[in-house]
Amino acid sequence: MTLPWFAGENRRVRVMARRAFGEATAFLRHTRRLGWADLAVMAALGGVVFAASRLAHGAVLPLRPAVEIDLSIRALPGYTLLSLMRGLAALILSFVFTLVYGYWAARDAVAEKVLVPLLDVLQSVPVLGFMPGLVLSLVALFPGSNVGLELAAIVMIFTGQAWNMTFSFYRSVRSVQPVQLEVARHYRFSWWQRFKWVELPASAIGLTWNAMMSMAGGWFFLMVSEAFVLGSRDFRLPGLGAYMSVAVAAGDGRAMVAAVVAMVVMIVALDQLLWRPVVVWAQKFRQDEGQGGGEAARSWFLDLVRRSRLVRLVRHWRRRAAGSVAAPPRPPAEAKAGSGLAARLLPLALFGGLLVLLVLGALALVHLLREVSGATWGTTLLAAGATLARVLIAVALGTLWALPAGLAIGLSPRLSRLLQPVVQVVASFPAPMLFPAVVALLAQLGIGLSGGSVVLMLLGTQWYILFNVVAGAMAVPSDLREAAASYRITGWRRFKLLLLPSVLPYLITGWVTAAGGAWNASIVSEYVAYRGRTLTTFGLGARIGMAAEAADFPALAASVVVMSAVVVLFNRLVWRRLNDHAERRFAP
Amino acid sequence: MADSIARPPLHAIENVCHTFVLPSGQRLEVLRDVSVEIREDEVVALLGPSGCGKSTILRILAGLIQPTSGTVRVRGAPLDGLAPGVAIVFQGFALFPWMTVVENVRAVLQAAGLPAGEATSRIAEAIRMVGLTGFEEAYPRELSGGMKQRVGMARALSLRPEALFMDEPFSQVDALTAEALRAEILDIWAVHHQNPSAMLLVSHDIKEVVMMADRIVVLSANPGRVRTVVENTLPRPRDARSPEVLALVDRLHDLITGHELPDLPEPAAAPAAAPQPEILPTADVTDVIGLIEWLEARGGQDDVFRIAAESGRDFGHLLQAVKAAELLDLVDTPRRLAVLTTEGRAFAAAPPERRKEIWREKLLALRLFADVRDSLRQAPDHRLPREFVLETIVMRMPAEDYDRVFEVWIGWARYGDLFAYDEDEGAVSLQ
Repeated sequence: MTLPWFAGENRRVRVMARRAFGEATAFLRHTRRLGWADLAVMAALGGVVFAASRLAHGAVLPLRPAVEIDLSIRALPGYTLLSLMRGLAALILSFVFTLVYGYWAARDAVAEKVLVPLLDVLQSVPVLGFMPGLVLSLVALFPGSNVGLELAAIVMIFTGQAWNMTFSFYRSVRSVQPVQLEVARHYRFSWWQRFKWVELPASAIGLTWNAMMSMAGGWFFLMVSEAFVLGSRDFRLPGLGAYMSVAVAAGDGRAMVAAVVAMVVMIVALDQLLWRPVVVWAQKFRQDEGQGGGEAARSWFLDLVRRSRLVRLVRHWRRRAAGSVAAPPRPPAEAKAGSGLAARLLPLALFGGLLVLLVLGALALVHLLREVSGATWGTTLLAAGATLARVLIAVALGTLWALPAGLAIGLSPRLSRLLQPVVQVVASFPAPMLFPAVVALLAQLGIGLSGGSVVLMLLGTQWYILFNVVAGAMAVPSDLREAAASYRITGWRRFKLLLLPSVLPYLITGWVTAAGGAWNASIVSEYVAYRGRTLTTFGLGARIGMAAEAADFPALAASVVVMSAVVVLFNRLVWRRLNDHAERRFAP
Repeated sequence: MADSIARPPLHAIENVCHTFVLPSGQRLEVLRDVSVEIREDEVVALLGPSGCGKSTILRILAGLIQPTSGTVRVRGAPLDGLAPGVAIVFQGFALFPWMTVVENVRAVLQAAGLPAGEATSRIAEAIRMVGLTGFEEAYPRELSGGMKQRVGMARALSLRPEALFMDEPFSQVDALTAEALRAEILDIWAVHHQNPSAMLLVSHDIKEVVMMADRIVVLSANPGRVRTVVENTLPRPRDARSPEVLALVDRLHDLITGHELPDLPEPAAAPAAAPQPEILPTADVTDVIGLIEWLEARGGQDDVFRIAAESGRDFGHLLQAVKAAELLDLVDTPRRLAVLTTEGRAFAAAPPERRKEIWREKLLALRLFADVRDSLRQAPDHRLPREFVLETIVMRMPAEDYDRVFEVWIGWARYGDLFAYDEDEGAVSLQ
């Protein structure tokens, strides 16, 4: 995935980093009382501990599948914190999965042949496709408590986060500069040293951006992850998503607005307190040696943390600890020979296990699908056609406004500086939380869900197009822009000769991502709960939503298989070819 | 010296051949029957044009690459895995951009299993040795090329290696900095009681190897072979302007040109009757024209090495351009000179349209182009796939990169208005 913002170089960060470094050792020389920065850091730590203990406390309570949600505004901060903890837990899970799976795929040539296509398929399975199986098995695993349900929610958010992070990491590890690997080999880095000094740093920037996008993607299904119906059973966990679902069902407008505000506050806070600092910090992992132009990324929070006495104290201790515990001298050559056999057998065993798992899964799937009648297959395929049409219309409509808007933003440094934070927050906002309002508006206008669901899809996926066009516009070489200006190439001609060819590779990336998002969104936009009623229209997303709710596993499996197949095929046959063509023709 | 002959050399390769298999499946012969020795207390240089496999030889000696055949020895014992006691200084610095100067050095010491305290003092020592004090906490991107290579040297020297291998270490820094780095590294080497005791220098710069090396292994390209070994017994420190140094530089010049641009043309004298297509030098049209303009501006002739030095062009590239002009009969090469022929002078004086005509005539005198034109005339719609052309032109150049050869070939043909090429369809057609 092409990552849009702040792709620039930043000299100030270096100065900042050096300053912090110097201060860390100067710490002992002048001791002052704790500053307000330390209070803030402590308060934040306290909040995390509080929320984590609440989550743990709730999780070990006796099983209450559907907790009562308190719709008063006073209860909202607590719910928001709980949802935040789930999102972060899922992110950590995604991170661990990414490192293991991505590294395995990148460094084991045999496993790669299975792992990469598998990841491609996993990525195209709609999030809801994982839901029923996950929930039922995890709940059954922890019969006495809510732990299973809690885990299921986290894993569902995880399925909306992990895949693109894994792809990014896999690609980064594969494209580590050969000479850097040669240095690692020549200077006898151990496996672990190569990982932490070469491969992980080389992937840091890509991972950061993808984690950021993943977090937004995880929120998309927050409402479904925290509150859902499975057959006759109603599952609900305390959290912001469940709050919103209940508010929508009750038609409580005040609570809906409050939930949206809470979500915005959470996203802005995450952006300021987590992502900005991480992005600024990750600048140090840039590969390029040259001086790229671009905007300096800054984070007031990182400044604050770096200024914090508390953090410096911790760093100082860590350093002393590292200094005093000398690394045990390793015997140079023999160390490797002994573990050679185990090192070779482990991946093989893992790979064998994976294959067995895949075969078992495939058998179970075939078993399920045997119950699906020919007529059902027919309807499912028709529904797939209807949804495909909606997805393509949504992408086209999104392009119609996002292409000119993205060009305008990307070509103007002032506009991109002003709008960048705003667009970032708006894009991370989970569109399904706005669906009730949009559905109400559509009903007023007399538009049914058949067309309305296109609008709902658009709501969630247009940003991908916008982001990528902005990135493309920012990357138009300035000498080409100057050349166009000096030869008086303006207006439509400028668009056709200069701008469109320049942004086309980026636009296509945007299309691929947006289409993927639209497929996923079809489940919640063709099948919308609204004021105690359920609105629905003919489509594959609606079929998945209905089958999941009715716990009709064969129908669910059939729909999910068809959707995954259509997405994978469309990616292969259309997007990838388009992309290859654009890269060949228009790449600089 | 006498007792070092009795002892086996520190590092040696014997009768090494090496073949790369490219991703496309084609095989590329890089080295043929190469033997090199590095003894204690000496500096050995591998000198040759690009494509002679000198960096590959360095990597085989260091144990980073296993040769296809031949023996690698360290102190007489066959080598298995990485060579002990070797540290490499890489051409493109190869520093980790996310580590500071100190962290870059510390990483290799930690990997070598040194205790933290020992590592810290070694880092300080190495940084002092190469003159990097004050830059300890800087990131590589904050440093100039010369400073970056000092980090590369500090990283290598911190391990106190017996042998220091340097892969074109000064080719990416400016001339003044290179001069300073050369002197510094020789000073470090000259201290006899401390490592490194031996150095291997890979270079394409004749002056550099004359100033630094005790023994100069002259290589020729495609595939890489040892052409000759020149002993350099000039006393140190050497003065770049002393008659002895200049004489040796001159001798090496003659050695290389004598081999790369032989005075007697190869037996393919009558092009039309030649049994096989010619070897296509990989020089672009602009390089060839540039060379002709250069010669015309200097009275029609110039020394090939002076052209390389004055134009700042890599010698290997320049050689290709000279060969191309020679193949087209525009230039003649007696000894180290490139001289415009009568036709070369006519070409230089001609207006653009006339130049293209001369160029086209010259192309059609070559089987490389005449054969393809004949085939195109017979082809149904006067079009042929790229692969057909490739088969014809690469027959005598199995070691070359096909894509690059085709790029050059079609570039020549396009300039002569001879053939057109449609990239999307991969088809060559008559113009």
